[in-house]
Amino acid sequence: MANDIIIRFDNVTKTYNSNTTVLKGVSFELERGKFYTLLGPSGCGKTTILRLIAGFDTPTTGDVFINGKRVNDVPANERQVNTVFQDYALFPHLNVFENVAFGLRIKKIKEAEIKVRVAEALNFVNLTGYENREIAEMSGGQRQRVAIARAIVNDPEVILLDEPLSALDLKLRTEMQYELRELQQRLGKTFIFVTHDQEEALAMSDEIFVLNEGNIQQSGTPVDIYDEPINRFVADFIGESNIVNGIMLEDYKVQFAGEVFDCVDGGMKPNEKIDVVIRPEDLHVTTPEAGKIIVRVDTQLFRGVHYELSTYDEDGNEWLVHSLKRAEVGAQVGLDFEPEAIHIMRLNETEEEFDARLEAYTNEV
Amino acid sequence: MRSNLSATAKVYLVAVFVILYAPIFYLIFYSFNSGGTMNSFEGFTLEHYKAVFEDNRLIAILINTVIVALLSALIATIIGTLGAVGIVSMRSQKMRSTVLSLNNILIVSPDVVIGASFLILFTMIGVKLGFASVLISHIAFSIPIVVLMVLPKILEMNTNLIDAALDLGASRRDVLTRVIIPYIKPGIFAGFFMALTYSLDDFAVTFFVTGNGFSTLSVEIYSMARAGISLTVNAISGLVFVVTVGVVAIYYVITNRAKKMEAYNR
Repeated sequence: MANDIIIRFDNVTKTYNSNTTVLKGVSFELERGKFYTLLGPSGCGKTTILRLIAGFDTPTTGDVFINGKRVNDVPANERQVNTVFQDYALFPHLNVFENVAFGLRIKKIKEAEIKVRVAEALNFVNLTGYENREIAEMSGGQRQRVAIARAIVNDPEVILLDEPLSALDLKLRTEMQYELRELQQRLGKTFIFVTHDQEEALAMSDEIFVLNEGNIQQSGTPVDIYDEPINRFVADFIGESNIVNGIMLEDYKVQFAGEVFDCVDGGMKPNEKIDVVIRPEDLHVTTPEAGKIIVRVDTQLFRGVHYELSTYDEDGNEWLVHSLKRAEVGAQVGLDFEPEAIHIMRLNETEEEFDARLEAYTNEV
Repeated sequence: MRSNLSATAKVYLVAVFVILYAPIFYLIFYSFNSGGTMNSFEGFTLEHYKAVFEDNRLIAILINTVIVALLSALIATIIGTLGAVGIVSMRSQKMRSTVLSLNNILIVSPDVVIGASFLILFTMIGVKLGFASVLISHIAFSIPIVVLMVLPKILEMNTNLIDAALDLGASRRDVLTRVIIPYIKPGIFAGFFMALTYSLDDFAVTFFVTGNGFSTLSVEIYSMARAGISLTVNAISGLVFVVTVGVVAIYYVITNRAKKMEAYNR
């Protein structure tokens, strides 16, 4: 398995101008042929990680390995890695064909082979027939594809994508998400995708790294991260969530909003203070008698697929509910949910502790 | 295009241009005068133009002027472009602005000062006054102009283009020849043509550093005009004016093409 690791970060830190630390000791391993997403708000260090892999920056401390080889001192032009830039960075003085052929010409590949490979790459991104177009004549989505073709034509081991969809409109963005995912599976290359858009991350990735303030908060499959966020930041950043304070009375018994509920989490100390997360779509509106929590509907927004209700319980906690049915603003309603919908987060738990606890109490069952 | 100018503003504008261009057209008009003076127009003739082309000395001077202009503009463009690339890649902000200020001082400082100081320099180190001294001084005063024309082009360039080229395997040299220079080409051409016109019409600096047996058109016209009125001067001036308009037209076409490219960057 060891040689399936394509990229490894070993306790990497990055400091700019000797005082701004953007990465605070990041370690991770990426496997060959998977679609990874680095997700986080702006300034969390995700783009810095990309620049360290591409070779535009060098780590302040720690080591970066590509294919098991330490590459701290290998310049960008000698790395088997290609980047799709946020603004595409296409060469405006070259046409589509020459933009894609740029890397091959640098490598002094024969003209006949260049023709074949550029045609192949353009075919991959559905731009056959656009060879002689000027970049200025291309739409945003087409430029995006040229940028991808320019990266894949060099047959790199890893393709880095720096928020490549952020400049596109919503419909095109959704389309490109499908295309990128499909492209990655057809090529079988490692894609590392940087975004601040959690929907993009959830839709496309094999594995997501959630970053904040220069640290990896949590990594895992989209489902893991969505269902089992490790802390308030992750729960809040990925999807919408209701987070309230609670007390873990014992395993599988939690108290919040003035009531005691059954849940499926365990492994904490008795009476430990914890955060409780319930996703808005896991809450069902019912009559006050049948509800587990009684709330008052404060505002209601129509979101197309569902109504988004903002409700408050007696203690003043806000409960966001996604409901398919309309509710009366100002009405008292009950909220019902399954024990599985309750997710418990310990305060200040690291990812290792979280994994260990998860393993320990699931083994008991 | 919709005009926002009031009637007074238009009249004023026309008046300004008339005053600016009238002497030039007056001069060119009399270059076709068959009478020997500019007092009255007697009849149309091309004899003054014929005189220009029959005067071998004048033709030699014209060729000198063009050779100096082309050579100095070419060399200044190469040095100035590399200089601009160098200035942009300077890490230290302080160093960069210092060099830029030094560059700008050279542009605004009077030609007389530059000419006089070159004269002192050349006599001190023993350069013979003539072609070489004129060429060197023209290169020198053209470099800052080229830097000034090329610099904005480099600054507007998306730095990601350089990263993208490196990412695709380009060496530093490839980045310069395949990305930066093609991108700033309009600025380089603009700088070249500016340098060309500066060199063509330079009088003050050339007057100081030229020596026996070597002269450029502006210096020659000056001495001819001093010697007394001859309509040959008018004819030469007319020719120079037409050439200048031609150079400006080329410059205009190039900058227009550059604007098309800029549209992409927005």
